[in-house]
This record gives sequence, C-alpha cells and structure tokens, in this order.
Amino acid sequence: MKKRIRNIFSGLLMLCLCFTMILTLPMQAQASDGSSYVYDGYTYDFHGNAKESPAMFQLERIISRENMGGVALSSVDDVCTSDDGRIFMIDTTESRMNVFDSDGTLLFTTRLVRAVDGTIALDENGNQIMLNAPEGVFIHEKEQEIYIADTGNKRIVVLDMETYGLLRIITAPEELIGVTQFVPSKIAVDLADRIYVVVQSSYEGILELTREGEFSGYYGVNTPMVSLTDYFWKSIASDEQKAQMAKVYAPAFNNVTLDGEGFIMAVTYDSSAADMVFRLNSKGENVLRQEGNTMVRGDIWTMSSSDTGSQFVDIAVTDFGTYALLDRAKGRIFLYNFDGELLNAFGSLGNLKGEFKSPTSIAWLGDKLIISDDTLNYIYILTPTAFGRAVLEGNESYYFGDWDEALVSFEEALTLNANYEAAYSGIGKNYLMKEDYETAMYYFKMGNNRKFYSKAYNGYRGEWLERHFLIIMVLFIALVAAVIYSEIRYHKQSKIKAKAAMKLMNSRRGRAAE
Amino acid sequence: MKERVWSTVKEKLFYLKSSVFHPFDAFYEIRFRGKGSIFLAVFILIFFGILQCVSYQYTGFVINTNDLSSMNSISIFLTWVLGFVLFIVSNWSVTTLLNGKGSMGDILKVVCYSLVPLTCTLIFQVFVSNFIILEEAMIVYVVTGIGVVWSLFMLLAGLCVIHEYGFGKTLASIFLTFVAAAIIMFLGILFFTLIEQMVVFVISVGQEFIRRL
Repeated sequence: MKKRIRNIFSGLLMLCLCFTMILTLPMQAQASDGSSYVYDGYTYDFHGNAKESPAMFQLERIISRENMGGVALSSVDDVCTSDDGRIFMIDTTESRMNVFDSDGTLLFTTRLVRAVDGTIALDENGNQIMLNAPEGVFIHEKEQEIYIADTGNKRIVVLDMETYGLLRIITAPEELIGVTQFVPSKIAVDLADRIYVVVQSSYEGILELTREGEFSGYYGVNTPMVSLTDYFWKSIASDEQKAQMAKVYAPAFNNVTLDGEGFIMAVTYDSSAADMVFRLNSKGENVLRQEGNTMVRGDIWTMSSSDTGSQFVDIAVTDFGTYALLDRAKGRIFLYNFDGELLNAFGSLGNLKGEFKSPTSIAWLGDKLIISDDTLNYIYILTPTAFGRAVLEGNESYYFGDWDEALVSFEEALTLNANYEAAYSGIGKNYLMKEDYETAMYYFKMGNNRKFYSKAYNGYRGEWLERHFLIIMVLFIALVAAVIYSEIRYHKQSKIKAKAAMKLMNSRRGRAAE
Repeated sequence: MKERVWSTVKEKLFYLKSSVFHPFDAFYEIRFRGKGSIFLAVFILIFFGILQCVSYQYTGFVINTNDLSSMNSISIFLTWVLGFVLFIVSNWSVTTLLNGKGSMGDILKVVCYSLVPLTCTLIFQVFVSNFIILEEAMIVYVVTGIGVVWSLFMLLAGLCVIHEYGFGKTLASIFLTFVAAAIIMFLGILFFTLIEQMVVFVISVGQEFIRRL
C-alpha cells in the first residue's frame, strides 16, 4: 500500500517535471532543416507586414576580456577587419588598439605608438606618441595602412599593417574652412587614397583630405526633413522673428565606410535627416538604390510615440553590394542587397547570450559578421546559418551575373523559408534572363515583384501574339470585311429608299400639276 | 399584361441609358414623370458593391496592390453600399432643411443611376488590366478617371434637377451632406457604445441575480 502511494507520488512528480521542462524550453524560430538559432529573424513583405524568417546569422564566438591576456579592456567602440582575417578593435576608454586573429587570439595591443624599426616614435615637439581616446579605425588594404582616428589628440595616426609601426601623422589641416573642428571620429579611405573623416555633430558634411592630409573640401549632402508647420511659421514670420528662430542645420553623418566599387557609404541616426543610409557619388549626392519592398530605413513601423525607429550607428558592405546596418535603438542588424531589398533583420537588446546592450560597430570578416558592444565589452562573431549562406551566395552570384548558381542558392533559401519574397524574385530574374517567361511570371507573382512581373508578362504576351498570329489576323480581316459589307449594304438600301421616295414625290408632284 | 411589363422595363432601361448621355433631361423625366425605378437603382447599387469585391481580387496583378490574403468581401461590399446609403440619407436630411424638392427615392435614383459610367469603366479596368504591362497601366487609369468624372457630373446634374437648385447651391448642399454624414456616424458610434454598456449592465445584473439565488 505504502509502496503504491509512493509509486503514484513519484509518477506525478515525474509528470510535473516533464511539464516544467517543456514549458521552460526556450522557444526559438527554427529553419526547416531543424537547426535552431539564437536570433529570431524577420523580413517585410510587399504589403509591409513583418514576416517571420530564420535569422541569417548565428553566434559563433565572443571575444571578451578573457581573450586579452591581462591587458585592460574598458570599452569596444570600433572594429575593422583586414582581408587576411585580422580584427582591429578600438578601446576608447583605455586608449588602445587591439588586434586579434579570427579565432580571437590577441596578436598585438598598443597605446604607445612605435616607429617601424621598433623604437619609440616622437612627434615634432619631441613628445611620445600616445593614443588619446581614439574612436575609429580603418584598414586601407591597397597601401597596407591602418588609419586610427586619434580623437582626443585631434589627429589621425597612420600605422603599417605588418609591423604596426608609425608611418605618418595627419593633424588639423591649415586650410580647413568652415566652423567644423578637426576632431576625427570615423575614417574611410577610398581607392584613390582620399581620406574621408567623419566629425560627430558637424553639419558641414564629411571632411575630405588628400593622402598628404591637405583639406580638399566637405563631402556629402545630408538633407534635413522640413516639416510643414515649420514652413508655415517661417513663411509668415518677419525678418526679426526669423533671426530668432532655431536654424535648421543639415544633420551630421555618424559613420562612413567604403563599398566594393569604391563608393563612400555613410549612415546617420539624426532623426531630422531625410535619408538614413547614403551611397555617395563623386558629387556627394545620395545614389543608394531603393528598389525593395520598403525604404532603406530599418523598421518601418514604430510601436509607440517614444519609439524613434531604427538608429543606424554603423554600416558594413560586402564586395557584392550587400550591406549590414547596425541599429542601436533595438539592437538589430538589417541586411540589404545592392538593390535595397531587405534580406533579413535579426538581433535584439537584452541580457541573454547573443543579445546586445549598446552595439557600436559592425564589420564583415569574410562571410562572418563582427559586432562590437561597448557596455558588455564584447566582440560578437556571427557566422551565417544555412539559410544565411544560401541568401548571401545567391546575392553574390546574382551580382556577378552567375545566374545558374544564383538559382541554386535561392532555391535552397526557399526550402528553408517558403515565405521569402526576395528569393522568389531572384529565381524569377534568372528565368527572365533565360526567356522562360511563364515560369518567371510565376516566381515574380510569388515574390510580389510587379515591376519584373510586368517585364516577364511583356515577353509572354509577345510570344503568345506571335504564336496565334494567324488566327488573330484572320479574325481581324473577317471583322474588317464584315464592317465593309454592312456599310455597302446600308448604302445600297438607302439608295433604294431614296429612289422610292423620289418616285413618290414625283408622282405626287405630277398629281398636283394635273 | 406581359407586354405591358415588358414595355415598362424597356422604358426604364431607356431612361437609364439617356440619364448617362443626357442627364439633365433624363433626370427631369425621372423626377417629374415617374420614369425612374427604385428597383433598378437598388440593383445597380448592389451590383456596384459586388463589382468592387470583384475588382479588389481580379484586377490584374500588375496594378493590383491589394493584400489578397487579408481580403474580406463582406466588409468591402458593406463599405461601398453603406457609404452610398449614408450619402443618400444625409443628403436627404440636409436638403429637406434647405428647401430641396427631391424625395428620398429621387435621391436614391440619382445617386445609383450616376454610378453607371463608373461601373462600366470598372468592368473595363478589371478586364483589361489582366492583359497589360506596367507602362500601359496609364491607359486604364485614364479610362477609370473618365468614369469617375462622368459619374460626378451625373450626380451633380441629377441633384441640381431633383432639388431644383442652382449649381452653387448643389455644391454647398454636397459639402453640408458630408458634414451631416460625419454627424450621423458620430451618433451611430455613440449609440452603439451606449447600447453595449447597457447590455453589459443588464448581463451583469442577471449574473449577480443567478449567483444570489
């Protein structure tokens, strides 16, 4: 009896345990191959509905204080990668640049800059060259140079990529015009060795310097949004009143990078800016392609009045034009292809593994993403999931014109996520290139891509008309013949009627004459 | 008997046609000589509502940006039909106060008859849009635009005639119609909210009563 009760009791306990285990299991979005991800992803469909999607990336490794081997690490403000797989990280609080290999092993760390031969470098006043609260780093692959924005000292320090020795120092150019102070924060160097320097809160644009550090002008147009009420009040105000009103300044650029074709790409998180992401041509105009379902501005819906929408702190571009935007407001990463189609959005703010606190910077390392966080002082290394790899490969093949490979990759992406409009469109474009219009139309319809559907339909309609040309021609001729016949008949009948009427009149006239 | 019915039907259809091409004359006949038909008017209105559902779904993919996965044909139908009913009721309420001579039936006939050009262009749009590319969409839009303008003209002409108004006064009465429609909607919402509260009250009293027994 006692034993039975104990059995029942332990059975109940087991049942309870099972239930709690089921309930406490983390709920995660799963791809149809069964592998689970840390992140939940989504995209927007044509109608602006958020559609769940597997995330394109998963957490591989975190580089943190433990990787530093005793060297202090107090904040992670900027990361940059080189083609040989090194990760360059800027620690503003400790005024250090740390270099890791792709496994997270510390290769080099510096605060005191040395000359190429290893001796301590001195500036023209004979002082040691120490970094002071640097904020940005950029790798210039063409010349094998590291550019560090030494913000606290208001200068740019250029190091050699191999020896980490000092090559030169760029200080405030004498010809600098305007009110912008030379306080470099983020740097990019283009293929013609021009240096682009972002100064936070400068409304004059990006500083453009020559390789020698001479000022050559301000670059980039960041138009502010003009609100209708402001416009109204300005239009009725007197000159004295206008002078007292707050001026509308152009919003500042907040980060800058170089894309695969040598264009400068920049982001801003100023809420008064009309655009948030820029691809600047040589005149400084924004030529970013925005052909996708949504504009390139991250989240398209705001949840409350305090919701600022996405705030992009950094941008990273691949060789094939696909770029990742880092949103500090919600800790999300948005991936767009070169056409401006949203590929995937994932990530969140929080305390769980893989979540961010205050993300600051993003970079590509091959097909991996490197993200830095200056509250947790982590560098996250994310690798593409099976879905992410398929999407990235598809876009890469499509960008370089390998249609068949793109088709394979997009089909794989579709098996993992059947709601993925970008992949349907990609497959459709492939069939359109092969002039298989009917299949292309099917895929464009699934992908809600009206512009390309119309192109495919144009081809389909042309082929249809060609195939049925004979019967259309016969019908047309028959119609024309029928019209002519009826006209003739009508004419004849009216002639007969007129004759009869004439006769009647004549006879009447005759009778009247009698 | 059968011939008389047939001839009446023919006459009604004739005046429907002539109201499209000669709205002033035809609406005069309809108003003062009883040549219109309420049955025909209601039929047009219902047909128009159904056609709106059809056009929501079957307009060609190239220019159809509706989200078909969340389509609700009852809601589309009721939105259009009740919208026109609201217009008729509020127009009647305004024009009775402004010495309008038209009765509710007259307004119904005018409003529904003037939907005919719009209905025709809508049918054209639904059919042709399935065979066009994006560059040719302008043709369809132009034709639909002509239909809208034509219908509006018929509506204005009809309201002028039946209420014996000048053009300016018709425009003013239409503006007031929209004001009246807003008031009616406000009252309707108020009514339903209050009714809901009353029903909830009665239900809770009932529940209390049952529990105390």
